[in-house]
Amino acid sequence: MGINRRNFFKVAAVTGAGACAALAAPAEASGPKLPEDAGYGMLNDSTRCIGCKACQTACKQVNELPAEGTLDDRGALYDSPRALSDSTYTLIKMHRDEESGEATFVKQQCMHCLDPACKSACLVGAFVKEPTGAVTWDGKKCMGCRYCMVACPYNVPQFEWHKAIPDISKCTLCHDTRLTKGKPTACATACPADAITFGRRDELLRLARARIAAHPDKYDPHVYGENEVGGTNVLYLTKPKVSFATLGLPAFGYIAPPRLTESIQHGVFKYFIPPVAIYAALGGIMAFNQRRNKLKGGTEHE
Amino acid sequence: MSKAVALRGKFWTPNVALLVFFMVSAAVFSYFRFFHGFGSVTNLNPNYPMGMWIAFDVACGVALAAGGFTTCLIVEIFGKHKYHALLRPAILTAFIGYLLVGMAVAFDLGRWFYIWHALIYWNGNSVLFEVAWCVMLYLSVLAVENVPAVVEEYKDRVNLPGLLARFNGLVNAFLQVADKVMGKVAVFFVLGGVVLSFGHQSSLGTMMLIAPYKLHELWFTPWSPLLFLMSAIAVGPSMVVFEASLATYFFNRKSEIHLIGDFAKFIPWFLGAFLLARFGDLAWRGALAAAFVPGKYAYAFWVEIALFLIPCVALMNKGVRFHSLKLFLGACSVILGVVVYRFNVFLIGMDMGPGWNYFPSVGEFAVTFGFVAFGVFLYKLAVNYLPILEQQH
Repeated sequence: MGINRRNFFKVAAVTGAGACAALAAPAEASGPKLPEDAGYGMLNDSTRCIGCKACQTACKQVNELPAEGTLDDRGALYDSPRALSDSTYTLIKMHRDEESGEATFVKQQCMHCLDPACKSACLVGAFVKEPTGAVTWDGKKCMGCRYCMVACPYNVPQFEWHKAIPDISKCTLCHDTRLTKGKPTACATACPADAITFGRRDELLRLARARIAAHPDKYDPHVYGENEVGGTNVLYLTKPKVSFATLGLPAFGYIAPPRLTESIQHGVFKYFIPPVAIYAALGGIMAFNQRRNKLKGGTEHE
Repeated sequence: MSKAVALRGKFWTPNVALLVFFMVSAAVFSYFRFFHGFGSVTNLNPNYPMGMWIAFDVACGVALAAGGFTTCLIVEIFGKHKYHALLRPAILTAFIGYLLVGMAVAFDLGRWFYIWHALIYWNGNSVLFEVAWCVMLYLSVLAVENVPAVVEEYKDRVNLPGLLARFNGLVNAFLQVADKVMGKVAVFFVLGGVVLSFGHQSSLGTMMLIAPYKLHELWFTPWSPLLFLMSAIAVGPSMVVFEASLATYFFNRKSEIHLIGDFAKFIPWFLGAFLLARFGDLAWRGALAAAFVPGKYAYAFWVEIALFLIPCVALMNKGVRFHSLKLFLGACSVILGVVVYRFNVFLIGMDMGPGWNYFPSVGEFAVTFGFVAFGVFLYKLAVNYLPILEQQH
């Protein structure tokens, strides 16, 4: 599945605005922003996943998340949840490619974007891109406006709909629980099929390319997340007959969504020159009209 | 030129009882929203985290309060003082509108008790940060711009009830100072209010551009900030006409058609400019074809365009502008057009991913109606006890 017409125009529009921004700040918007050290990430190899959900369980354990009842409304019986939620940060689902009919298990989780839309959108700066590569959320700042949920192209951040005082929750790449203690993520550690590889992002990219080169018949040559939405710390591989879109990884453009909004926003308020200029211009017009009205003998204003 | 005076009519009428009913039902639903979570009242879900309260109470609320800054622009800045009688009601309704927007935002924040965080934690990259600050500042400016009406009514006549009477002197001294200061600084607030409005009216259009893969191409455009600003300017005079018409009807006042009919001549100009920019943008991006692909997006688009285009053409005609009912209907059409435009950008045009749908719940409607009712209630209270509307002989 290629880029369809609708996405093409969007990407074209974003690129156009990116180009405008490039005139103003060439270094900032000349393509995906790829830092030399992007920290840690994970390579999810969907060709290896056996669907055992050990990663899902490990995630629940390390984050102390309750099991979700999905089979009856009392929440008594447990089966796999159908979607990410405030108590499910990662999820294994089986997808069937519409064209080839081939079924594949794949892991869904926060992509930990290099230039996260949630972080750009959050007005109080509750989202942080940590040096480890993780995108984390700070409950001491968050106002619960849910704009991050609108902004995330993958619909990852979740909200506690049934709590009076709700949190935003999502995969943290085990930042607090394991990464800062020198341990790899819980899900990668738990995977018995070697489908989840934890490591530095540049090494993961090399590993992904090596796997593709070694088995061109088993892999689609594309590494998802290398450039999508400006690059992500979580990367994906797929079989040649299963499109990434089938796995819930749409053919997004290579420019991070915040590039457009931030270039508009910073253009409109650049050094506060535009607002001050409008203020001055309106003041001038006002003074001119008051003078003219006075000369005409009109007196009626405050 | 006649003076504005308080109406001093009977306040508790059957219409007010209806308003109170809506406010009480909203309060009942808000109990559940605040103590049992959003899930107990709204149909919001993981893929539709922002619903009617943001799309209508906030996005439309801000646009429909645009009567304040557009009237300010026309009367004070462009010096068209013959419309002076329209200024105070416009400033008042803008203030009430923004007050409701502020309340609605607090209502829609999951962690509403942290609303003051916008003051201390700054993320200048966030569009919402800019909107929040402009709205806060503009609400303050509008409060100041309403001070002259209070001063005029109560200066040297402060008469607080009961125990509060001991503060009469203090309050009066404050009004004296406010009176003196306002005369000197009003001009800065007038200009500041217009610039702040330019800022957040346009930024509302930038908000959904953070989601390029969710917003349909009929609405996803880098020009969106300009289009939002232009549509707000277009709806401003329509709101003034709308409010003046309703005030005439409900308060049994003499028709102001000679004034508002003349004022309405700005609407086709502003709307025409907006529509030119709207179609220019669609053509430039090559997105016009999408308007002819049958489906909900195209229908929503054409409803929006029709609501703008029909009054734009109709109000060019003097016979329509100076006919009370036709003018009122024209203004309603522009207002509905802006409401549909905002809904298209914030909800209908947003394809939030497979498997989830959203339609507002009874509770969401009830709360929204409650806010609208509260706005009307405040307006009636204000025009009854403050000099807002011009005296009629």
